[in-house]
Amino acid sequence: MLSIKNLHASVEDKAILKGINLDIKPGEVHAIMGPNGSGKSTLSQVLAGNEAFEVTSGEVTLNGENLLDLAIEERAREGVFLAFQYPVEIPGVSNLQFLRTAVNAMRKHRGEEEMNAAEFMKQAKEVSKQVDLDPSFLKRGVNEDFSGGEKKRNEIMQALLLQPKLAILDETDSGLDIDALQVVSNGVNALRAEDRAILMVTHYQRLLNHIVPDYVHVLAGGRIVKSGGRELALELEERGYGWLGINDEDTSN
Amino acid sequence: MATTDNEVKELIKREYEHGFVTEIESDTFEPGLNEDVIRRLSEIKQEPEFMLEWRLKAYRRWLDMEEPEWAHVDFPKVDYNDISYYSAPKKKEDMPQSLDEVDPELLRTYEKLGIPLHERAKLAGVAVDAVFDSVSVATTFKEPLEKAGVIFCPISEAVHKHPELIKKYLGSVVPAGDNYFAALNSAVFSDGSFVYIPKGVRCPMELSTYFRINAANTGQFERTLIVAEEGSYVSYLEGCTAPMRDENQLHAAVVEIVVLDDAQVKYSTVQNWYPGDEHGKGGIYNFVTKRAACIGKNSKVSWTQVETGSAITWKYPSCVLRGENSVGEFYSVALTHNHQQADTGTKMIHLGKNTRSTIISKGISAGRSSNAYRGLVKFGPAADGARNFTQCDSLLIGDRCGAHTFPYIESKNKSAIVEHEATTSKVSDEQMFLCRQRGIDPEQAVSMIVNGFCKEVFKELPMEFAVEAGKLLEVSLEGSVG
Amino acid sequence: MKQAPMLSSAFLHPAGQTLPEPLLALRKQRASLLVDMPLPTRKTENWKYSSKYLKLTDEMAISLPAEGKAGNSLAVSGYKVVFRNGILIPEASDYPDMDGITIQSFSDLSNEEADVLALQLGSTLDHDQAQFARLNGARFDDGLLVRLDADAVLDQPLFIIHETAADTSGSAFPRIFVEAGANSRITLVEEYTSSGDAPAFVNTVTEFTLADGANVTSIRLNMEGESVQHIGATGVVQNHSSRFESHCVGFGGPLRRHDLQVRLVGEEAETKLNGVVVTQGKQHYDNHTSIDHVAANCNSEETYRNIAADQSHAIFNGRIHIHQDAQKSFADMNNKNLLLNNGAEIDTKPELEIYADDVKCAHGATIGQLDEESIFYLLSRGIGRRDANVLLTMAFINELVSQIPLEVVRDTAQIRLNEFFEQTFQEI
Repeated sequence: MLSIKNLHASVEDKAILKGINLDIKPGEVHAIMGPNGSGKSTLSQVLAGNEAFEVTSGEVTLNGENLLDLAIEERAREGVFLAFQYPVEIPGVSNLQFLRTAVNAMRKHRGEEEMNAAEFMKQAKEVSKQVDLDPSFLKRGVNEDFSGGEKKRNEIMQALLLQPKLAILDETDSGLDIDALQVVSNGVNALRAEDRAILMVTHYQRLLNHIVPDYVHVLAGGRIVKSGGRELALELEERGYGWLGINDEDTSN
Repeated sequence: MATTDNEVKELIKREYEHGFVTEIESDTFEPGLNEDVIRRLSEIKQEPEFMLEWRLKAYRRWLDMEEPEWAHVDFPKVDYNDISYYSAPKKKEDMPQSLDEVDPELLRTYEKLGIPLHERAKLAGVAVDAVFDSVSVATTFKEPLEKAGVIFCPISEAVHKHPELIKKYLGSVVPAGDNYFAALNSAVFSDGSFVYIPKGVRCPMELSTYFRINAANTGQFERTLIVAEEGSYVSYLEGCTAPMRDENQLHAAVVEIVVLDDAQVKYSTVQNWYPGDEHGKGGIYNFVTKRAACIGKNSKVSWTQVETGSAITWKYPSCVLRGENSVGEFYSVALTHNHQQADTGTKMIHLGKNTRSTIISKGISAGRSSNAYRGLVKFGPAADGARNFTQCDSLLIGDRCGAHTFPYIESKNKSAIVEHEATTSKVSDEQMFLCRQRGIDPEQAVSMIVNGFCKEVFKELPMEFAVEAGKLLEVSLEGSVG
Repeated sequence: MKQAPMLSSAFLHPAGQTLPEPLLALRKQRASLLVDMPLPTRKTENWKYSSKYLKLTDEMAISLPAEGKAGNSLAVSGYKVVFRNGILIPEASDYPDMDGITIQSFSDLSNEEADVLALQLGSTLDHDQAQFARLNGARFDDGLLVRLDADAVLDQPLFIIHETAADTSGSAFPRIFVEAGANSRITLVEEYTSSGDAPAFVNTVTEFTLADGANVTSIRLNMEGESVQHIGATGVVQNHSSRFESHCVGFGGPLRRHDLQVRLVGEEAETKLNGVVVTQGKQHYDNHTSIDHVAANCNSEETYRNIAADQSHAIFNGRIHIHQDAQKSFADMNNKNLLLNNGAEIDTKPELEIYADDVKCAHGATIGQLDEESIFYLLSRGIGRRDANVLLTMAFINELVSQIPLEVVRDTAQIRLNEFFEQTFQEI
């Protein structure tokens, strides 16, 4: 489904990704771990098409289609979803209005009828329950005055609504207490499906107790330095990154 | 991020929707302004002597005045002798007695503008006075309004039918010599609406005037007078459009509102005069004086305006809060694009005890436009316990526009409290990224973010206007992203 | 149309001829530009609230002689320059002769030095906004030049005491020019005082240029008496990474006007402007500030507070101008005011003019009373209403006074402020 070949990317002429190779098949859950500054978040931003990053070489395809040629919103419509590490506030725009616009943009792209307000409201309410967000959140401004945990749940709720092909979760566990982590994980597990791939970016192993990945990759200095199964994460927790010859605070890039 | 800025620029490029010209025969004065022109105007309208005197007096005042230069706008001097001061569609005999007699070409014009006037398709719940160039061509729902005791008619008609009200209130809020453009308007105003809500009456429907400039080289000088007697209520809407022409055209209106004890007036404007093209050619000069006198106790006036049109806007809907506990509100969205210039805001003059006012102003600048908020909040020595809250926010789209705030705050009362805040922001790259990551078009994203920015003002508009305003914003922003 | 009144020609004749030739020539040239200078009226936008307080008579046109008794209140032991009626008095002054630092009277400059200075004088100011700086340019009889070479540091604050001895009517036109070289540092205090009660006019100009990385702290205390009309202007130009900090404390008078103009022309420059004004009786005070963000990535922070009692009148006009391409500017302006009596008046006009989109700019202004909740809190602790009022009113400006980095200035200001509070609150 997702194929990344020798991906290089930089920001303000500083190279961050230095040759990433990764293949993800439908139904798989991959976790990318690595110390701060290893390029984890950059990878998710680049996949989503953030224009602050420049792809200097390499290739990324989603179901055979070249993602790098597509604009941000086109990638989204092809099924790329990014759950933001720091969700942005948009004052005055209600969550509901925002999500309906997004859902309808996707539907239009697929040649489907737009959803009317009532229909959408019903669906949105159901999904909001799944992540334990009170439906009143739908009427509030996008992420406006949300707590950290509410913002993260809001991201997962959006993923559930938009039903992407590839969900990229950027540090979705950061800043969550154990209860919130459980709620968010339940949401992510609900996302798991045979035709969907999930790429989780995280600094800590604990998320992987709740969402069990099929593969774990360690990113350091802009490259994947080790790949393995679930057990790799446990080993990392026990031994830290040091045994892989990486500083925990990797700022080598 | 340069890309987003370009996107935003691309977003603002749609053609002005109401730019068509109605082909209709008109009686139009030769350009030029002198006492004879005013006499002729008064004669055509068969005005009583007192009106002619009033006009001439205003004209003489005007001759002695100087055009104001303090506003943050820049345009070539207007040649007042190059403008025609009267233009009206040729009519067969007298004023049309019913809508059936109105020229079908005019009815079609208003229909095209989304304001059907004929009986079958009238806007439900909204009575419309349609003003075409210098005259009112039709007023709908006259009967049910009359039943309620509400007077809603062209001001030229009110001069004949209700001279005592006109004598009492015309110029009582905006005196003829108030300012340069008000003096000019007083001398040459051609038509406009008159509204009178009797004591204790809640006007059964929204009242609305739709102003259309059609003729070339003609100025429109309308005058609106609203009188709300004790305990009455009215919601009044105003809409404006004009054809696309290469020459600038002058619109200098005066609106006066008198509000007595416990009465409330809600005045909403969606101003969409032709703004000129993307190079700044053409467009309306919109120089307007709007003022409400809250004479009565517990009276209230609420101005809501959405200003997206005009090449130049010079407009400060104001409230003189004289009555105890009277309330003034000003909610404004002003959007400028291309080479548009707006200098708009309000004056809240607190004279009475416990008077309160709220100002919410949202300015959006795009392209090479300039958008200024100018406001005055004043507490007189007797305004014990008076309060004002002001919030002025500016949103910039692109790096070649300007956003300015010029608030004047004056207090002579120790118990009065004013709080003023102003901020400036842009549509952030992060917001754009989030919206686009969710599959939303850049244009739609900008329009959604801008709409969110204006939400506090839009919620003050009557429902059907709010939708209209949101759409208008979308159209006006088109091409601002790229 | 009524003709605007003009500045009387009596004001166009400078007295002292002790300046070096290039400065005399400069003064003459500036005077020629002043013929037909209109006096501000109510219609002059930047004098809208203050023109009625300006009362210049021909008797006040003459330069006061450089004599009279000292009246300064800053009992300082450090570096000190004393001006009497606009003339530097070497006997009363005591300033160092250090490597890399020039502190000199205009009158003592060589022609070569004066040539250089003549090109600099007035260069930091927008004279259309500070019209009276032109008059100073045509009339200054003396002045102080402070030049710091690169990396020079003045180890102690420099106090500049301006005394106006108004035993007879007349005027004084003191002038200061400070050039702070790259990475130099200086703290400079200007105190304006007066003695005598003849109507006098003090018209000052102070200019600062800050080279890359220079750090200047400027403190201005205005404490002249009830017969002195004061119109002063301060111009500041800041280059890359320079830092300017200003503290102005002003007590009202028959006419008090200070224009403070800061231009941030180098990136990453920072400016912080604090100001406190109190007025009582029939006094007046008008602060006009403007901050021009010409270069990108600069910060400005401005906080002004006014208290007006009795029938007095305090005015604040703050302008922030973000020029095109001054991206990533940060500007924050805050003005709070207390109006203590119904006869008093406060006018404030916080302005923003913005031509760049990627900026963070905000201003806030309030006029009002003391916070009722705070008063209640104090009352509930057994404090009387008068004392509660005094305490909270003092707190209102102490927030700023306490930021003045010199104890002697804080103390001096505090003594005068205490007098103000004593008088203002005695009847409550």
